[in-house]
Amino acid sequence: MLGLDDCLTEVMAIPGALDAMLVDQTSGMAVAISGPPQGVDAESSAAALTETLRATMDGLARSCPGETVRIDDMLVTTDKGHHLLRFLETVFEGPLVIYLRLDLERSNLALARYRLLNISRQLLA
Amino acid sequence: MAPLDTLLAGLARERATGALRVGRAGTIFLSEGRVTYMECAQTPGVERLLAARGRLPETALRRLQADGGCARLLEEGPVTLGELQYCVLGAVLDAAFFLLPTGGSRPKFRPGEQHWLGGQWFFDVAGLMRECARRRAYLAQIWPSAQLDTAPVRPAQWLPGSGVTLDSVQWEVLTGAGAEATPLDLAKRIGRSGYSVLLAVRRMAAAGLLAQSVETTTTTRAPEESATKTGEHRAKTAGDGQGALPQRGRVAAAQRPPHDPRAPGLPLGPPVTADPTDLALLMRLKKALEELT
Repeated sequence: MLGLDDCLTEVMAIPGALDAMLVDQTSGMAVAISGPPQGVDAESSAAALTETLRATMDGLARSCPGETVRIDDMLVTTDKGHHLLRFLETVFEGPLVIYLRLDLERSNLALARYRLLNISRQLLA
Repeated sequence: MAPLDTLLAGLARERATGALRVGRAGTIFLSEGRVTYMECAQTPGVERLLAARGRLPETALRRLQADGGCARLLEEGPVTLGELQYCVLGAVLDAAFFLLPTGGSRPKFRPGEQHWLGGQWFFDVAGLMRECARRRAYLAQIWPSAQLDTAPVRPAQWLPGSGVTLDSVQWEVLTGAGAEATPLDLAKRIGRSGYSVLLAVRRMAAAGLLAQSVETTTTTRAPEESATKTGEHRAKTAGDGQGALPQRGRVAAAQRPPHDPRAPGLPLGPPVTADPTDLALLMRLKKALEELT
């Protein structure tokens, strides 16, 4: 069984992973971060990511009328790298979000998505 | 008597292990200076969250608590380790948000005592305080008035527009809201953290989805009210003495946050600094006008 801390170790083992973070979507709190932050303020970046997710959710709800929107994962590609966000629905709170930043050159997106899916299954069976 | 947060910071410095009972309001469990669990009478604890969300009935949990404890709970498999950690994390931060600002009763420290669900996650006391402050600021940013936090949740009868999107907590708040339940009552009933319900309620208020109760329109004063509004406030109190009724609507509109579509627009031109009820000035003007004719 995976705990929240070990789960980040697993996430960081994905090829091309630069850094990872667990975010509580409800409160916008950084639950856990991988390693020491390098010039990144985890608290404010978690809060900002939460706002992004909330806006995405609202936008999708408006663009797919008649559907209940349920996001599994989200991918943003910038000129420097890929940003993968995986949503973990839990019964009580959340969703809990795994955020992973990947190197543009060294990463394999399909593999990274597959590994994230596996990790989330182990975390919340 | 020392406030709760300085007491807690002291216990953290001494690397104390035990339980700090804060009267009936709640209990804080520490292990070597780090918080392992926190209970607050106002918010749903882990047991309540698991039960209300249909994971495990409270009787089964009590049986586990008496026999086998946390290890057996994970072994029997109704919750995974990740889920339990996340649940404890949410519940403790939620309890901290409501418990730490109180401090009416005399806290009592019992060394050595532990909670059966403690040890899932360790919280650094300073980090806990920082997170509570951040959460408070975030709430105020969504909707500045704290009045909604303790008042019964009453959804508006009519939607102020033609459509709206709701997130899952807002949906649960809406279906659970009667005329009497306050946000914290709802949190316990639907098995969500108190803070998430407060967030949902304030977001709904900002979107105009809640009925304006009489006391909110007349007495709410936004905490961040700036000094520029004091002129208007003085005008209102001066007006009250003469029974000037029509002020009320305008004051309510002025309290809406700027992103509310019904909020008043920003004033044009430089701010007016003169007191509109400056009688002496009016008398002087009247006299000057009379002398002109």
